Amino acid sequence: MKPIGKAFFAMALVVGLGLSLVTTWAEGGEAKVVCRVETDRKVLPAGGPQNVVIKVSLDAPLAPSAMERPRVNLALVLDRSGSMTGAKIERAREAAIEALKRLGPGDLFSLVVYDDTIDTVVPAQGIENIEGIIRKIRQITPGGSTALFGGVSQGAAEIRKNLGRDYVHRIVLLSDGLANVGPRTPEDLGRLGAALIKEKISVTTIGVGTDYNEDLMARLSQKSDGNIYFVESSDDLPMIFAAELGDVLNVVATQVRLFIDMPKGIKPLGIVGRQGRIRGGQVELSMNQLYGGQEKYALVEVAIPASTTGSTMEVATARVVYDNPFTKRRETVTARSVARFSDSSAAVERSTNKDVIREYQLNLNALSQEKAIALSDSGREEAAVDELKQSAAKLKKVGIMYKDSVLLEQAEALDIQAETIKQKGMSKKSRKVLRTESYQMKNQQKSK
Amino acid sequence: MTLKRSIAIYWALLLIPTLIMVVVAFRLLSHEQERISRQALELASGRGQAICETIHITVEGVEDSLTASLVAIDPDRLVNTLTRWERTNPLVRNVFVWQEGAPLAYPVPGMESTMEERRFIRRYDSLFSKRIAWESNPGASSEEKAPQTTRKTVDTLGNVSQTTRETAQRGRQALLDLARPEKRVAVVAQGLGAVPSGERFQPRSGWIPWFAENRLFILGWVKVAEQGPVFGIELELMTLLSRLGTDLPRFTEPGIAYALVDGNNEIVHLSGKVDGGQKPAAVLNVSPLLPHWQVHVFLDDSNRDGGRGFFFVSLILLGIFVAAIVSGGALMTWQAHINKKDALEKTSFVSSVSHELKTPLTSIRMYGELLQSGRISAPEKVAHYLAVIVAESQRLTRLVNNVLDFSRLEQDRKTYHVDRVDLVELVIAMVERHGIRIRAAGMEPGVFLPDGPLMVRTDRDAMEQVVVNIIDNAVKYAAEGKRLTFVLTDANSGFYELRISDRGPGIPREHRQRIFDKFHRIDTSLTARKPGSGLGLSIARSIARDLGGDIGFEPVKQGGSAFIVGIKKDE
Repeated sequence: MKPIGKAFFAMALVVGLGLSLVTTWAEGGEAKVVCRVETDRKVLPAGGPQNVVIKVSLDAPLAPSAMERPRVNLALVLDRSGSMTGAKIERAREAAIEALKRLGPGDLFSLVVYDDTIDTVVPAQGIENIEGIIRKIRQITPGGSTALFGGVSQGAAEIRKNLGRDYVHRIVLLSDGLANVGPRTPEDLGRLGAALIKEKISVTTIGVGTDYNEDLMARLSQKSDGNIYFVESSDDLPMIFAAELGDVLNVVATQVRLFIDMPKGIKPLGIVGRQGRIRGGQVELSMNQLYGGQEKYALVEVAIPASTTGSTMEVATARVVYDNPFTKRRETVTARSVARFSDSSAAVERSTNKDVIREYQLNLNALSQEKAIALSDSGREEAAVDELKQSAAKLKKVGIMYKDSVLLEQAEALDIQAETIKQKGMSKKSRKVLRTESYQMKNQQKSK
Repeated sequence: MTLKRSIAIYWALLLIPTLIMVVVAFRLLSHEQERISRQALELASGRGQAICETIHITVEGVEDSLTASLVAIDPDRLVNTLTRWERTNPLVRNVFVWQEGAPLAYPVPGMESTMEERRFIRRYDSLFSKRIAWESNPGASSEEKAPQTTRKTVDTLGNVSQTTRETAQRGRQALLDLARPEKRVAVVAQGLGAVPSGERFQPRSGWIPWFAENRLFILGWVKVAEQGPVFGIELELMTLLSRLGTDLPRFTEPGIAYALVDGNNEIVHLSGKVDGGQKPAAVLNVSPLLPHWQVHVFLDDSNRDGGRGFFFVSLILLGIFVAAIVSGGALMTWQAHINKKDALEKTSFVSSVSHELKTPLTSIRMYGELLQSGRISAPEKVAHYLAVIVAESQRLTRLVNNVLDFSRLEQDRKTYHVDRVDLVELVIAMVERHGIRIRAAGMEPGVFLPDGPLMVRTDRDAMEQVVVNIIDNAVKYAAEGKRLTFVLTDANSGFYELRISDRGPGIPREHRQRIFDKFHRIDTSLTARKPGSGLGLSIARSIARDLGGDIGFEPVKQGGSAFIVGIKKDE
């Protein structure tokens, strides 16, 4: 064996050992995010140029039970405007206490309530004095108007007291009304969300009843990568808080950024459902955080050049970069997808990836729902109903074609919704359902 | 007349100074009130000014720090650094790099940009296509910033609590830290400033308040090399607002509210409570860096009432004071009036009594002297003279008795000897004894009595005095009526009634209430036709009441007076 060969062998051994070491460790609770790149069909029809949908999925591992979870810095922002009287404030208080009880030692909790003025009821603190905090929560009574912007700002100020440290920062905003003091356009609140995520603060919004401004709440959540919930009955609040806390306590990846590189000749056409940028052959997206056991994905439509049967082509390479809050390390995972071309339409048919097609259709449906809201807002209710019905019909068609029960169910539900809107007009509730669903779909929200 | 005039003078002396005092006090109070209101407004405006300056200094500091940071960027890693800022710095909304005369180098229009970046490009299209000059923007360059001192802010914050002030300072520091994305920037920037300005290009920079999409945006730019690009950032106003909102000093006085209002007249931050439609008491411009942004100061009704309260309480006190003066004055005037009247009555009483005493004395003396001279020898004449002397001395006795009784009654020293008395027999005896006098005055007595005796327990002498005084009164004033009637009846109400009525001229209506008052005479002049002390009826009533009865007066229909004496029956 030549010296070079020896050296190579030694290096391979070291690397191999290292890899196996890493693997063993990973089994001990440090599983990485799994990245998959799939096309809607594994076998593509050979011939002229065509468009293909690529789905890049990120499968978050379950949070390792043996390791200490990242600590949580939770700020609860409660609307206590005049409309929150009776059962609503009662449930909100219960929910806040519920959330509080799920926190553990080392976590931080703060509580801000707002009407036209903003009060920090509980400044950011550990939960050692849980009884004292609960007592303060029980004293919250509903008051005047709604300074939502100020409330969230104050919540952020409480979070910020411990910003530099290793926490999962989260504001949970609960409101049942329209903001009427301070900035109150979806645009402004969106910008606030966008600014907060830069400080790694996410805002989850919970809308109660049918009077809140869903656009504003959705935008705030979306831009700050929080969850969004629509709660019609305040009875569901404790459950929602539990689910949200479950998510927050279960963050396995933060600062998630996804880069999808296409080889020369393949041209990205657009990103479905998510915001991102396309630089030549590279698509860049950010997803901020992943919860344990969650699957998040990005759908990209690409144009593929002409090909011959039997040939293969690398379609995309995905690179995921994220922070692991358990190990506090920056991780990178890659995956690639290779497509085969064939003349046989049966082979193409057989290779269909139902999963990709379903998610693609559901995302297109989410976009249709948003379009329907926009149409209804501009007074064209009939066009909105048509849009929803068309989307439902399309979902149904694809659902039948691929015998997909999820799509068929969704198609049916959407059809019923469209019919309701046709008969009764776009009610506040319908609008909220559409807005919330479309956001949850596009963001692959785990808890719904 | 003099009495009335003196009362008028008293009142004038009392009321005129009081009125003057009220007017002066009222004016002083109004001024004081105005001063208090103005002071409240000035204080509130001062606070508003402090808020404006805090915002101005913060924004100015943020802009200066960001400019310094921009200047210090390594030109080779310009885009990388800027995009990193955009991704991680909450104060940075967008970044750009632009070479004059070329299209935007970053962000690139098209798919490479995010939606936000595409909007950014559209927003500043007129700027990047040079339809609007970079440095002609009013208030754009840092040199034009309003010179305001940091010191002043701290001073005007004045009595704001220490912690609030500290929060504000800390908040500003946090924002300034954010505005220095690179830790070493401060040093580098200083170093840069220290370079002597020779042939080296002086970095140029500016901040442009930009109105688009019906709102304000703020764009900061620098140009560090003559041939180099212009690059910079768009400030994230929402971060600024969010941070300013939580870090601004909180004023918690009730009734005062401060609102930060943007160019569209929308409240972006509110401290305190404002009612819908309430007009601001003061409007202050925030800063030339945030054109058209204002701080509105609101004073609500309760606040003004707080000031008004002083006014109203003072007015009430003044009212009480004036009422005390007027009522005290009235009391004193009344007292003076009573005293004066008493004095007059006593004078009149003394002269009446003297006159009364003098008349019988004159008669007695005249007939006595006549008898003494011995020139009267006719026995019937002598008898007549003696009878006159006896009658006159009886009259004198009655008069003196009345005066004595009066003083006893006044001092509550009169004693009564109560015994069983038959009223019928008493009336008969009285009419018999005084019949001569009544007839002499030209009246015919008429007596109507019940059949049997009417026994009561009373003081016979006192009862006789009551009747005599009434008879005297009738003899003196009602002789022309020719009749004096005595009627004794059982009134079936615990009293027997003796009604003594004449057909004389009667008593004028205005005197009826007062005929039983002491010293009261209908004709008080010394030249009165009839003599009298004004004591008779007063004494009669006092005695009647002391004996458990009363005396009343009733006019007689056909003219004349009736005095009704009620005598308490035996139990």
